[in-house]
Amino acid sequence: MSQVVETAEHAKKDATYFLALKELLFQLADDDLLIAFRGSEWLGLAPHVEEDVAYSSITQNTMGHAVMYYNLLEELGIGTADLLAHDRKSEERRNGIYLEKRNGEGNYLDEPYYDWALAVVRNYFYEAFKKIKLEAVANGSYKPLANVARKVLMEHHYHLAHWKLWIKQLGSSSDEAKKRIQGRVKEAWEEFADVLELGKHANDIRSHNLVSIGEEEMKDRWIDEVRTVLVEIPDGSLGKKYGSGRNGDHTQDLEQAVNTLAEVYNSDKTAAW
Amino acid sequence: MTKESDFYQIYEVFSRRGNKAPMQHQFSLLAPNREMAMMMAQENFMRREDVIDLWVVKQSDIRKMTSEERQNMTNRLDNKDYRTTKGYGYLRQKWKEKEQGMLDEKEIMSWKEVKKK
Amino acid sequence: MYNYVEDGDSKTTAYVEHDQEKSDAFMARIEAGEKIEADDWMPADYRQALIKLISMHGISEIMGALPEKEWVPKAPTLRRKLGIMAKVQDEMGHGQLLLRVAEDLMKPYGKTRENLMEDLLNGDLKFHNVFHMPTKTWADAGMVGWLVDGAAIISQTNMLDASYGPYQRALQRICQEEVFHAQHGESIIMALAEGNQYQRDILQESLNRWWPSLLMFFGPASAETTGSSKQDIMIKYKIRKSTNEELRQAFLSKYMPRVFSLGLTVPDETIRYDEVEEKWIYKQPDWDEFKQIIRNNGPRSKERLRLREIAYENNRWVRQALATEPVNV
Repeated sequence: MSQVVETAEHAKKDATYFLALKELLFQLADDDLLIAFRGSEWLGLAPHVEEDVAYSSITQNTMGHAVMYYNLLEELGIGTADLLAHDRKSEERRNGIYLEKRNGEGNYLDEPYYDWALAVVRNYFYEAFKKIKLEAVANGSYKPLANVARKVLMEHHYHLAHWKLWIKQLGSSSDEAKKRIQGRVKEAWEEFADVLELGKHANDIRSHNLVSIGEEEMKDRWIDEVRTVLVEIPDGSLGKKYGSGRNGDHTQDLEQAVNTLAEVYNSDKTAAW
Repeated sequence: MTKESDFYQIYEVFSRRGNKAPMQHQFSLLAPNREMAMMMAQENFMRREDVIDLWVVKQSDIRKMTSEERQNMTNRLDNKDYRTTKGYGYLRQKWKEKEQGMLDEKEIMSWKEVKKK
Repeated sequence: MYNYVEDGDSKTTAYVEHDQEKSDAFMARIEAGEKIEADDWMPADYRQALIKLISMHGISEIMGALPEKEWVPKAPTLRRKLGIMAKVQDEMGHGQLLLRVAEDLMKPYGKTRENLMEDLLNGDLKFHNVFHMPTKTWADAGMVGWLVDGAAIISQTNMLDASYGPYQRALQRICQEEVFHAQHGESIIMALAEGNQYQRDILQESLNRWWPSLLMFFGPASAETTGSSKQDIMIKYKIRKSTNEELRQAFLSKYMPRVFSLGLTVPDETIRYDEVEEKWIYKQPDWDEFKQIIRNNGPRSKERLRLREIAYENNRWVRQALATEPVNV
């Protein structure tokens, strides 16, 4: 089934296709949801008011992208978008672990010692990767998803430009800024690898042409991109220190994120909000 | 040594037509410096309409979008009715059931008139 | 969202030279309905009243984002998450517009945004009473969006014709965005009011708690209540048109019918509209408490200021790093 698949009904006919598609959609949806959740915690705390406003638009767009993927899952009969976003256990979530990482020490409500260097490095790394993955998906076999990917790519352009400018400028400014950025880059290097992977269904995802390139090529392209921007690439290969979020491994940070984002939802699951 | 071609500097002209209006771009003109540009702008752009303020800005001081940026950075998806009144239009019917009006733009902007005691 | 209130013990800046001729000409312009621009000559008390008003307005937008922001990551559906994020973002955006207006007015004193932030943190610059209060449930997020914002809209639309051009233009933009805010708040409230028992309970509980703050929103009716009020100078210079009490009455007239139509009550059995006097009769809130709140002794004053302070200090390295233009980028 490497032909173009036009509809959800069609996708459901082949069990391995359906499973591979579901995994891929959860990766895309959960990645965007988690990084947007971390972005929403930053609201009001950015280095200056103008950046607060700008960052929030990107966060809203990103959450809007997550909604589009959850809607595709809903069409496949897996559950409503709100249920999928709010009411899945950690081990069912497929986001890369680095994306669930807390914004820094403290909590958004109390003593938020958030680190702008982490925000900049994480968002740049993620947006650079998102472009590569979405281009592969846009040329993939599931038509409804390919269409969504093309739309998201239109809007994604300035997200990437935004974070690229921040990392370039901070990376070439004061010694302190360079050191902070470099420190976060080094840390990311040990944790980012699972973001670039497609998880245990990688072979099916690729063989059914849900993505037009495999995870190895995505990774190579990503490294080529970040090389153009980073002053110094850390030694050694990329690591996944805490396991693979694509396979359901997660940290306490995801627990905190899910508990927060579902707090009101959980207070009464039967209510219409 | 100065060249005659330096006489022709490009200035962008902005004017405000009323107290409530934003500064609006009008057009551009050529002038050798900003004092001269201001003088030229007055006659070139104020002769037909009432203008209450005028700015001239050297074009090279303006960071414009590049051609590529205009094509790539201005796209926004049509999925943001959560942030416009469009997404909340259903409230009109709900309030009607409760014999109340909708707080739309006309209603809210009319609130500037407040009853005196 | 905001309103201008005085706590009675504010410091006044040293008096600048007085020029009768210029003052008379200035007053004539005000009387004629002309708009004043940033670089026009203006009397010191006009400039100072504006700085105080607009910096407090701007900083209240920024501080006002904090109580609502508490519910942004927690909002119960994806759509509510997006809606409230956009709404709080707008508040930050309003803060940005207003701070720019205030900064241009402060220029002659050599002050910048940095000074405003420092004034906020050391307590010289006050923020609006409503933003010192806790938000305990999702219904509070709705209440802030509905009635607190509603009160803010009443006070902001009242200055749409303000004599200071840049302020009035900022308000034009702000009030247009407030239309979405009003509807966004009502949308949250409507879902709760039409929801199940639990939802209706948290809604009523929230309104009960916010009621005194809503009455205090517009400030005391007269200077005697709290010791001083700048409302006279604001009206003399045509910065705003109505008194605190007129605004409160307008708020009650617009919103009480809506409150009652949803089956909600307010914790004041005496409240009624008197047809003869043509005004709302209500129980006064505790104005001593109001004074305490705006002196940063409210229930959440310290915590909110602390959040602002951490964000400010913690990101200092970013502002320092980019304070000079970067090379080769």
